[in-house]
Amino acid sequence: MIEALWNNLDYAASVILFCIGLYAVITRNNLIKKFMGLNIMETAVFAFIVALGVVENGDAPIMGDGASAPFINPLPQALILTGIVVAVSTTALALSLVIRIWRQCGTIEADELREAE
Amino acid sequence: MKRAFTITLLIALALVLLNVMADLPPHGSAETPPYTHVGAYYLEHGPEETGSENVVTSVILNYRGFDTTGEVTVIVTALMAVIAVLTGTRDTSQEPDTAVTQIAPSVVVRFIVRVLAPFILVFAVYVILNGHITPGGGFQGGTMLGALIIALTLVLDERRSAKLIPQRSVRVIQVIAPLMFVAIGLFGLIAWGDYLFFPRSEELRPIVEIMLVLIEIGIGVGGAVVFARIFRLMAGRP
Repeated sequence: MIEALWNNLDYAASVILFCIGLYAVITRNNLIKKFMGLNIMETAVFAFIVALGVVENGDAPIMGDGASAPFINPLPQALILTGIVVAVSTTALALSLVIRIWRQCGTIEADELREAE
Repeated sequence: MKRAFTITLLIALALVLLNVMADLPPHGSAETPPYTHVGAYYLEHGPEETGSENVVTSVILNYRGFDTTGEVTVIVTALMAVIAVLTGTRDTSQEPDTAVTQIAPSVVVRFIVRVLAPFILVFAVYVILNGHITPGGGFQGGTMLGALIIALTLVLDERRSAKLIPQRSVRVIQVIAPLMFVAIGLFGLIAWGDYLFFPRSEELRPIVEIMLVLIEIGIGVGGAVVFARIFRLMAGRP
């Protein structure tokens, strides 16, 4: 297993990054830090899927003068572009909700908000 | 105790995931499933069929145009939700003291942003307009444009930074990305009988390239204005 993981080091790194993000989401009390953790998790997934399309000694998938096969798979990159845009949109909405919570309650710490209920 | 439990849980999760990762085909091989199915077709036929040398752009705008239509709608929906959350009914009596102390940015920051602004603008326009032949495209250039507006908003005073987004036409500009997509889609419907249709013949290549560039401009400008407006709304400005 260790040798197979060493060959797939990019994938293993995204797993570690995912767990770091999940740790932040679970343990942090500050809502902004929770959303930072969520963004780290998203980044890990994006990195994993983009890494799936990589080919050894591959060229960027842009045809034209001087381009030579093999090319890196364009499909994961196109899908992840969509994913990044959606992630930005959700982050914007989440942060605006945090601003609203802070205006209403004067705090963005999860445990203080639970007490305030 | 709680922390130890969380860490144990995460290590268990990591072990499960790492076990799966070890079973995947080796990284960088051309025999992996994502590479052997539809991706190979895109690489082989993308440039001739779509008029875009950048295969990523041809996948985004041509093969998966509907997907991207939904994507630009998501940005506009996020803006609408942010407007609804932040400018809805404001009960000022209960609000905590929101008087943010205004700290003027230092001379260095102001100078650097002002010197770099025209170069960032030129690069953003270049990336938007060349998305079909070089790395980049509407989303990438639009992000740069939006970041430029945000950076200028930080260093300029309120009166001048408000002018960065044209106040009268902003209602149209912020939805220009989906509108441009629908316009190009309807053009394909009228001209060739299919919504969001891009002809694949050699003679019509220039028209297809113009359609791609128009969509890129729409995405770039619309995205930039949406992100700049979200920033301004969060900063409590109109």
